[in-house]
Order: sequence, then C-alpha cells, then structure tokens
Amino acid sequence: MSSNRFTPRGFPRVPLQNGIGRYICQLKRITLRFCKSSGSSRGIRDFIETDLINFAQDHPGTALYLKPRRHKSPSFVAEYLNGEREVISCHNFTAQQTIKWLNLYTTRSGIPLMRYAKMWHTECPSIQGVWSPFTNKDPALNITQFPSEMLSKPVWEEKSATEELIEMINKQKISDENDDNTQKVQAAQL
Amino acid sequence: MSQLGRVKQWNTFARCWHLFDAAWQNPLECAPSIEKYLKGLNKPIYHPLVDCGDHVVVINSKQIAFPGEEWRRRVYFHHTGYSGGATWTPAWELHDRDPTMIFRKAVYHHMKGNLFRRVVMERLHIYSDSNVPEEVIENITNQIPPLRSIPKTLGSYSKEEIEKYPKIIDYPEDFILSKN
Amino acid sequence: MLTLRRATRVLQVLNTTQKCEQSFHRWLGPTLRELKRRKDSQGPEKPAHRKTFLEWNYDTEIYAFSKRLGEEFNNDLLQQALTERSYIIREEERQKNVGIEQPTLNLSDNKELVSKGSDFIDDIVKRYLRTVLPRLPEEGIIGIHKHLTSIQTLSHVSFHIGTSDLILCADFPVEKLTLSNVLKSIIAALIESSGNSRAALFVRDFIITQLADKDLHQFWEPDEPIKLLSEILARDGIQSPEPRLIGCSGKNTILACFRVGLYTPDDKQMIGLGFGETVDIAHEMAARDSLRKLFGTSDNILLPFNLKLDQLCASSARNLSVTEWSQKTIPAHPSHFELRQAKEICSN
Repeated sequence: MSSNRFTPRGFPRVPLQNGIGRYICQLKRITLRFCKSSGSSRGIRDFIETDLINFAQDHPGTALYLKPRRHKSPSFVAEYLNGEREVISCHNFTAQQTIKWLNLYTTRSGIPLMRYAKMWHTECPSIQGVWSPFTNKDPALNITQFPSEMLSKPVWEEKSATEELIEMINKQKISDENDDNTQKVQAAQL
Repeated sequence: MSQLGRVKQWNTFARCWHLFDAAWQNPLECAPSIEKYLKGLNKPIYHPLVDCGDHVVVINSKQIAFPGEEWRRRVYFHHTGYSGGATWTPAWELHDRDPTMIFRKAVYHHMKGNLFRRVVMERLHIYSDSNVPEEVIENITNQIPPLRSIPKTLGSYSKEEIEKYPKIIDYPEDFILSKN
Repeated sequence: MLTLRRATRVLQVLNTTQKCEQSFHRWLGPTLRELKRRKDSQGPEKPAHRKTFLEWNYDTEIYAFSKRLGEEFNNDLLQQALTERSYIIREEERQKNVGIEQPTLNLSDNKELVSKGSDFIDDIVKRYLRTVLPRLPEEGIIGIHKHLTSIQTLSHVSFHIGTSDLILCADFPVEKLTLSNVLKSIIAALIESSGNSRAALFVRDFIITQLADKDLHQFWEPDEPIKLLSEILARDGIQSPEPRLIGCSGKNTILACFRVGLYTPDDKQMIGLGFGETVDIAHEMAARDSLRKLFGTSDNILLPFNLKLDQLCASSARNLSVTEWSQKTIPAHPSHFELRQAKEICSN
C-alpha cells in the first residue's frame, strides 16, 4: 500500500513534538462494533470477555466504547488527537488478531499513511555546517589569475624516457665525481 | 523560509565556473572528467534530479590531439534526412571547419542520452583559442587539471639547453645532421 | 478479506451468467444514481459535534483526558476550565425559551482561570527562555515569548491534547481563541490541583517544546544588524569590524554567490561569515552571523528541555537590552551543562 505511487509522499513526523516533552498516546477514542450472535464477531466477543479490562487499564488515556449491532460485520473505529478517524474491519478475527490490530492502532500517531521519501527527517541536517562549493577550497584560488601556469600541470604523470635518461646521466656524473674524490684522498694519504 | 535558510541554500547550490585547457589533450579522454563537473558529480549533494552542475570553459580547443591515425580514420556521420543525404566527414576536415565541434561532440556523446543532456551541454563553453571574453574569465574560480602534460617540441629548447644535453657520442666534424 | 469477498462475488456472477439471469434488480443502478444526485444537490455535509454521536460519555472523556496528560486534576476545576461563558449564556436562553423563568445551571465559567493561567504561562516561558538563553537580549526573549504565547501556538497545542471535543462553548467548530483560552484555564486548574511545579512541567512539555527544531532568529531579527554589531563591539572597545570578500562564484551571472567575512581590525580574527546573492546581502548576513555567535543562538543550538521549576532563574531577573548589551556586562548565569549536571545530582 505504501509503495503505491499515488499515496501521498512525505517525511516521518510527529504531532505536537510528541516525545520531546512527554509522550502522549495519540489514540483518543476507540469504538468496538460487533454482533452478539453472529459467527464473524466471535473473536471480538472473546476479546471483550477476556482481555478488554486489561486493555482499558493499560490505556487509561483512551476512551473505550462498545457498540453491539445486530447482524453486522464487526469492526473498530480508531479516533486520533489530530482529528483523523479510521475504521478497521474485524470480520472473522480471532481474539489474538484483535489484540494485535488494536496494539498497532494504539501505537500509531494518527497521521495518514504515506510513502516515506526518507525514513528519517531533521530540521538541522548538519552540526558542522552544510557543505558548499567553498568548503575546503584553497583561499589562494581567490587571487589566482586564470589560466594559471601552476594549475596547468597534470596531477600525476609517468616519467618520460628523456627525463629518465637525464636522471641516469646525472647520477653517473655524481658517482664519477665521488670516485675521483676518493682516489684523490687515497693518493694524498699515500 | 528564514533569511538564513535562504542564503544557506544559495551558498550550497552556488554554480562554479571551471577552466580547462584543451591544448594537446585527447578530447575522448577528457570527456569523462569534463562531464563530472558539468553534472556536479564531484559534489556530495549530487542527485540525478537535482540541478547542481557547474559551468566549464574550455580553451584552446583548436590544439587538441588525437593518437595515431585517428585524424584520418575517425569519421563523423551526418544524414540530412533525404535519400542520399548521408555524409561521412573525417575528423581533420570537421576540425578545419569548426575547431570546437570535435570537443563538443566528444563530451556530448560520452553522456548518457536523456532529457538532461542538452541542458547540461548548455553549461559547456568552448573557445578555439585562448581569447576568452573578459566577463567569462572573471567568473572562473577553479581550473581542471589536464590529463597529460604538454610535450616539449624540439624548437622550444634554447641553445644552452641543447648544448647542456648529455651526449653519448661526438659526431665527426664533417658529419651533416641537416641541410640547413 | 477483500479478495475472498471479491472471489465469491465473481463466482456468483459466473453462476448467474450460466443461468442467464441478472443477480441484481434493474432498478438498483438508477435508484443509487438518483440518491447520489439528490445528496450532491444538498451540498457538502455539515460537520457534526462528536457529542451528537451515540457513543459519547462526557465523564469517560474527561477521565481519559486527564489520564492522557498524566496529570491529577480536581474534577470540578477541570470541568470549570472547559466551560466557556458563551455556553452558559446559551443554555440559560434555551431554558428560558422552554419556559423556565429562573434558569439554574450549576456551572461556572473559566474567565478567572484564563487570566490566572495566562499570567503563569507568561512567567514560566520568560523565565525558561532567560535561563537557557542568558546571552540573548531582552528584545529577543520577548519576541520568542510572543510567538510561544500567541493564539496560533496555544490553539495548536490545545487542539492536539484533545480539548476541542470537550470544550463547552457556543461556537462550533471551536474557534482558535477559545482553544487557547481553554489551554490557559487548564493550566490554572492544574496549578490549583497539583501545585506550581507540576504546572511548570506542563508548560515546559507542551508549550516550550514548540521551539524544538526552529530557528530562534525567525521570531526576532534586529533591523540594522551591521549598525547594531558595531555599536555592541564599540562598548567592548573593539573598532567596527572590517568586511572582506573571501569567495565568490560566477560573479557576472545572475546566479552569483558572494561570501563575506567580518574581521576585527586589531587582531584580525574572523567574527562572522555571511553569504548571499550580492555583496550587500552577504555583508548583512555576516553581521547577523556574528550577532548569533555573540548571543549564543546559532542555528543548530540544542535547547535543554529538561529543566524544572527550581532550576529556572527568578522572575525578577531580566536579560540585558540591546542598547546596553556588551560582553563585559553579561551576568554570569549557569550554563546548560551545569544545569544538566545539577539535575542529574538531584535525580540521583
């Protein structure tokens, strides 16, 4: 359902900054509608017999109403603090299933289902400051005259044969000089 | 949006201008790095649907280089749409007609064909030589490093450098190196 | 469930087509269409108050309301807080119309509670802001306070804690002014039921938390930031700051972006950074940035929302006004960190 491209798109949010101060259960009212005799309401009747008191005690902030209706398919209506209202069919539910669905609807915020563009949302995306093209840029670029001689060189390049040859020659020259020097020193010592 | 939020976004999405010197560069090799700046792929804020690309000013496109037989063998195809309207222009001929065309085509054909390609190409400014209008040069804040260094030609060596160059043998005095 | 139902329906249709007869009457479609047309011609349905529904028990709702907020209310006071003057007048008129000459309603309205609650909210909000933002000038405190205690904010809070169904008033749908008045009176009822400290926590949790994730300077912006900054720095003996262009991109285009830094002329320290479409805007934003730094209200500030009544400053304390603000004369308030530590020691 939430993958449908026609469902509204948005970011996860909470009503009234819920949870920053204190947490409020957003479900304000719940109405269980069921039939006293039909088989499809059997699970919800079981739930009312066994678990309804516990449920009401666990959620004192939710007003709970029972509404028996003859020969009607069972359902419950969840009403939220933000004014939203949802009807959930409980046709042929077992008591366990009813508990699970009620649990889901008590923990919801009441904001209608939407396709999440991201699974998180923040008003303050970065503590260190948002990136910009000027971040980590060398300030010397501000006063550089373009095209600049220094920046017109490749970042890395292999040595050419000519350069290697000159290097080898220079090395040889130095070693020759060293040899000459040592020979001179040896001669002087002799 | 608050005043600060507005200028923050302006700052993050500021369009930069980059310079690229195409002298002695292979346009086919340069296209990927140029495309990176044109589309904004170098930015951490990049997203295919976000318009965050930069401008690139290419100079000296007349001096581009192709390896091997490429100038003769590379052919640019065009069809007028009428029967018998197909033409095959060799690279050297196209370069003679319009020195910016080969570079532009290289970048254009390197990019994936979608609706954004023409928009992105509008941000590529190619000049055949280094005579760029002053108002364009003033915008530039960065230079893209070339892929290869410009090779030194024999004529550019000074006399001292040639004399200093290490020799393996000495030519005999009557040996003729060149006619002039 | 739906698919099962649909499958049985399809089977039914298949069975009927075999018998070559329709499963529904010929008049069904036209009748439904006619009903729809008549319904549409009546215009949109008017909203009905929740109390007109069959499943409605006011006592249950009131009980759930107080439990939801996690507070212990005196039931009579809460009832009084939710009763508007307009409701009593309307009920009396109704009784008179029926023929009762001296109508008696055992109800009292929330007028006194509203004024009491309003004063309490003003006091707590101001003290809270002065405690957590000791460097912000008094004008800023008043600006933020004005936003927090506006009818817009208070009615939003009031609606989202679920008062709109419970208010006894003549107007429906409930007006924003009524909603905010009821929130004030609920807080006054809470003061009388559970004491000041509980009520202060209530104000903190529901009203002050509305500041979370918001830029504080949207509620108060100094008009001439460049002038104000140089005045403030002059009081500390610093010459007026020197703006420098430290970056720009595409300066001959309409998408130009300039960055201006403000430097102190003596020791060449950068005190603010601004950016914008023109150099003037960037300069102004740089001044605003340095003011933010001075006032301790940067855009990513984390306000502590965990202070109790005894950790707030006295109601007589005032922050410095803009006209006398300088770093030398800032009084030494405890920092957020110290306040948090104090709270942890208390809880241990």
